[in-house]
Amino acid sequence: MLSFLLFSISRAWQGFWRNAAMSIAATATMTLMLMLLAGFWIIQAGFLASLSYVEDKVGVVADLNDGVSDAALQDLESRLSTMPEVKSVEYISKEEALQRYRAQRQAQGQDDLTGYLADNPLPASIEVKLRRPEDYAAVTSFLQTDKSIAKVQNIKDTTDRLVSITTFLRTFGVVLLGVIGAIVLFIVINTIRLAVLGRAEEIEVMRLVGASDAFIRWPFVFEGALVGLLGAAITLGVLVGAAEPLSHFMVGFFQILPISIGSISRDVTLLVVGAGTGLGVVGAWVSVRTYLIR
Amino acid sequence: METGFPAGLSAANGYGVFDTRRAVLVLEDVTKTYPNGRDALRDVDLVVPEGDFVFLVGASGAGKSTLMKLLIRDELPTQGTVTLDGDDVARLPRRKVPMVRRKIGIVFQDFKLLPRKTVRENIAFALEVTGTSRRRIRPAVDRVLSLVGLTRQAEQYPHQLSGGEQQRTAIARALVHDPKIVIADEPTGNLDPLISWEILQLLLRINELGVTVLMATHDADVVTALRKRVVALEEGRVIRDEIGGGYHRTG
Repeated sequence: MLSFLLFSISRAWQGFWRNAAMSIAATATMTLMLMLLAGFWIIQAGFLASLSYVEDKVGVVADLNDGVSDAALQDLESRLSTMPEVKSVEYISKEEALQRYRAQRQAQGQDDLTGYLADNPLPASIEVKLRRPEDYAAVTSFLQTDKSIAKVQNIKDTTDRLVSITTFLRTFGVVLLGVIGAIVLFIVINTIRLAVLGRAEEIEVMRLVGASDAFIRWPFVFEGALVGLLGAAITLGVLVGAAEPLSHFMVGFFQILPISIGSISRDVTLLVVGAGTGLGVVGAWVSVRTYLIR
Repeated sequence: METGFPAGLSAANGYGVFDTRRAVLVLEDVTKTYPNGRDALRDVDLVVPEGDFVFLVGASGAGKSTLMKLLIRDELPTQGTVTLDGDDVARLPRRKVPMVRRKIGIVFQDFKLLPRKTVRENIAFALEVTGTSRRRIRPAVDRVLSLVGLTRQAEQYPHQLSGGEQQRTAIARALVHDPKIVIADEPTGNLDPLISWEILQLLLRINELGVTVLMATHDADVVTALRKRVVALEEGRVIRDEIGGGYHRTG
């Protein structure tokens, strides 16, 4: 078994270098396809992060009656926090509301008119952040029944539209990734098929001298894996080289979005190495199969 | 399993007496119909005893190539059985097919040498891919190299060799795993007459060493001169099977 393994690997190595032109062509195609896949994966990750960033902004805002006691407020907050739909609850006091209003007016370049008022007219409020924007209705109806609440802001229309848009975009992204994946699969498998086709004579001779299927198949499978690993290594090298200038360029983007570069690079590494090896192995397996089954 | 002679077949092979040698190859009532409806072989009976030298002659399309393909189980008979060294090749499970092919050495008109391997590597290849240990490959390759007279050319590549040397390399490769029978499909088809004779002498020598040889050929001179057993095919049927016959029907 071990000698068979050594035999297959050394034959794969030999086969790769003795047919260098074909091997390099296959590796180049593999590399380009893996880059396409990785590039798209990264874009998709950024895209999904942007969607969650937007969705995170959806919250149910409820104005409180003036003079609600601290105890009632705390009770309301704790009951909200235990709801499964709720991510976080924030209390905004009357003073904070006024400050926010002033800051907003200033940012818009408009005069601060609040100085003319004797009293702070803005109500205190609570902002409930949701785990999923679709759940706004449950939280809204809960808040409406509470007697500390003066009014729950109606976000039905905006949220419904947002949810339908994000759902569409998510589905579209997944479909697109699937299509790209299928294209990559076909192109890589066909390239390997061509490389194997160029060695049809060698396979024919092996068959005729009585090589068993395993002896014919495994060297090609290892060679396919070699092409895949080499393609993956080149792809990762290029990505690492590109990461520094790119992240410098997109630093603002990454600061805003809830996106972790660590988890993305881990995912992309797994994707590139896995897809490269897998495609190489599967491509070689199915290509050699054509010659084995008679 | 020892295959005896099927009754009624021995008389047809031209020996006239009952042959008690062991049969390496037996075809019984073999018909091969291709999917397009063409009958490549019809009711072919053929027995090749161990140590025989048989010429298979006939025009192109007479069924020679189909017969060869049946022997190496590249094709399966539509009817009848092909028995090689006691194994019914059609009934073999797929994984045993390589074992049967190792009992056959095949030589082609176009040599089928691998261009990126030296003479030695081409020959060793046949053993490597059947899982022979490195230790046993080298002496076996040296033995057949000296048998076909290519010891000096061992490290050359096929394109550096003459046609005759290339065919000798192919014959060495066919012999290196000690086959029971060597099947040569027009081995001299691409070679000039002088070189053809060299190749034929080599095949005869191999036959003298005890290997059964089945050679398909168009070369009438060779067949007529050697007075060996001749099996003639026409439109898929065996029309003649005689010892010492010529290429064409005599009398």
